[in-house]
Amino acid sequence: MKYIEILAANKDFSKIINSKKYSIGILSNITINSLKDILEYQCFKNGINPSVEIGNYDNIVQDSFIYNNKDLVIIFFDSLSLFENVDHFFESINSDLYDSLFSKCINELNLIFKNLEKTPSVIINSFSSLCFVSSSTKTSKIEKFTYELNTYLQESAPRNFQIVNIDKIFSIFGIEKSVDYRFYHSSKAPYTIDFLKKYVEEIEYVLLKNNGKLKKAIIFDCDNTLWSGILGEDGIDKIDMSISSKTGKYYNMIQRIIVYLSQKGVIIGLCSKNNENDVLEVFKLHKDTYLKEENIVIHKINWSDKASNLLSISQELNIGLDSIIFVDDSSFEINLIREKLPEITTIQVPANLYLYPTILLKTIYKYFNLDVTNDDLKKTSMYKEQFQRAIEKDKFNNIDEYLASLEIEIIIEKNNINQVERLAQLTQKTNQFNLTTKRYTEVQIHNFILNKQFHVFSLSVRDKFGDNGITGLCIINEFEDYTDSILSIDTFLLSCRIIGRNIEYEFLNVILNSFQNKNVKEVRSLYSPSNKNEQVKDFYEKSNFNLISSEIEKKYFLEFDSINRNKISYIRVNFNN
Amino acid sequence: MKYLHERILKVMSLVFEVPIEMLNEESSSDTIGSWDSLKHLNLILALEEEFDIVIPDEEVGNLMNYKLIQIVIEELNN
Repeated sequence: MKYIEILAANKDFSKIINSKKYSIGILSNITINSLKDILEYQCFKNGINPSVEIGNYDNIVQDSFIYNNKDLVIIFFDSLSLFENVDHFFESINSDLYDSLFSKCINELNLIFKNLEKTPSVIINSFSSLCFVSSSTKTSKIEKFTYELNTYLQESAPRNFQIVNIDKIFSIFGIEKSVDYRFYHSSKAPYTIDFLKKYVEEIEYVLLKNNGKLKKAIIFDCDNTLWSGILGEDGIDKIDMSISSKTGKYYNMIQRIIVYLSQKGVIIGLCSKNNENDVLEVFKLHKDTYLKEENIVIHKINWSDKASNLLSISQELNIGLDSIIFVDDSSFEINLIREKLPEITTIQVPANLYLYPTILLKTIYKYFNLDVTNDDLKKTSMYKEQFQRAIEKDKFNNIDEYLASLEIEIIIEKNNINQVERLAQLTQKTNQFNLTTKRYTEVQIHNFILNKQFHVFSLSVRDKFGDNGITGLCIINEFEDYTDSILSIDTFLLSCRIIGRNIEYEFLNVILNSFQNKNVKEVRSLYSPSNKNEQVKDFYEKSNFNLISSEIEKKYFLEFDSINRNKISYIRVNFNN
Repeated sequence: MKYLHERILKVMSLVFEVPIEMLNEESSSDTIGSWDSLKHLNLILALEEEFDIVIPDEEVGNLMNYKLIQIVIEELNN
């Protein structure tokens, strides 16, 4: 974000954020005016209403007495200015001057410590020698001096002082991008806007912590988030979180990070569209799982939408939505949460898996307090109890508005011979949303398409976030019954990544309605249960079919005249009959 | 040209916290009360970022009115 965009955003924020002022004083021996705007922006963004005041130029010690009533004081006791005030080329000074300068700095630091000892929070930067010309093979006097000062700072700063290791920021960001000597020499303003943005990002943790805005819980999806693969389709033996496999090792690291967090008192939860028992079995039985059930405080493993599940997690744990981080690999789920529950911070598993641990760690360091106290260690069991006591609250419903915002479009094609390979693959791989679980080879699908009695419908789905490709199949057997005909649904299946958007109902409606002019008397259908397809056991009931018999398999019929002709308004249908 | 004119005025308006309607081609450090040396520095930083330029050291101190700012930006963009 550009500096003027920050200025413009601050203007808007200051009109809408009216919470109690959080007062910040900036004390410095350099010119650092634009830090005020950038800091204000970072506060506003986190719902903090800042009141930032900059002290007099090069007046840190005196100002530390005036500004000690602030909520937060930030000190730029900068070595650039410090060494420039010595009227010598520093490398050539004698030891007397060195010692007297050192003791002057120590005395100033001590005064600052004392003046600010009652201030709730103080941020002070470490002293840096990186702004000065140096050589990697020589130790300069400046380096020695800053090293000694830093040691003193570390050992003597009061507990309310947070030391920012400014060399870390320099080394991540690059000294040339951080310091603009032009403005240092003309205005004593060494730092670039980009550096100041980076600096403020680095101290965001302190701002959040001081304002009670750190996170308490992190909730994970399961498939392709805690392990590689889809449990419901690949099975427990095929999902991968092994330290010695190419993709599994990243998930193994993720699980180790999660266990570490749980030991630090962070609440760990799961929110996954899966069968509950299947997932819990993974944590009990899978040979590579590092994460165990005892690390998990709360889980919502079901087929409801994740916004409802996360909302009930927040209610059951009695924590705010803004205390929750949610991690998922699916852009559909991430966008659902961003739109429905924007208070929740989301992390999407990156397509480049090797970045996944880095992204997770960066977020964790920013949002969680990982300094351990004994109380924190007790938290996991405390929340677990609270969870057990909690009563299931009402479902958070009506996600229609969200679904409408997705601009879902389905493309239905009939008897397309070019799709044989993918359609056969769908019958072989789809377990969860599959009414009859009949497996077909390519030849069989090919024969259905050539046979006039069968109708093969494929479904492709796309929305504004992307194209899911061919993800559904319906095979209809049309046979004569005297003068009329009867439709029998041989196969009806959808890949589970498009479930939860009512696409299945629209798919079926469009297909059945396409037989409107063909003297169809009735439609027959079948649900045959498998180990994996429990979630669709009521699909035909929900589609207004009448149950005829329900031994082992459930058989249904539907008079053709009574099929549902109502379109689902938010799904655009593209059907070439 | 008009576009450049508006962009400069927008930067000035945000940095000096003056409504954009109050600014024009005659605006200078004499007509804008909040244009002090600290704000001047912020103005330079904002202009450099907005127009993706580096204003030479010797020019920095001269840019005390709208017209000079426009001239320098046009030169640097060529």
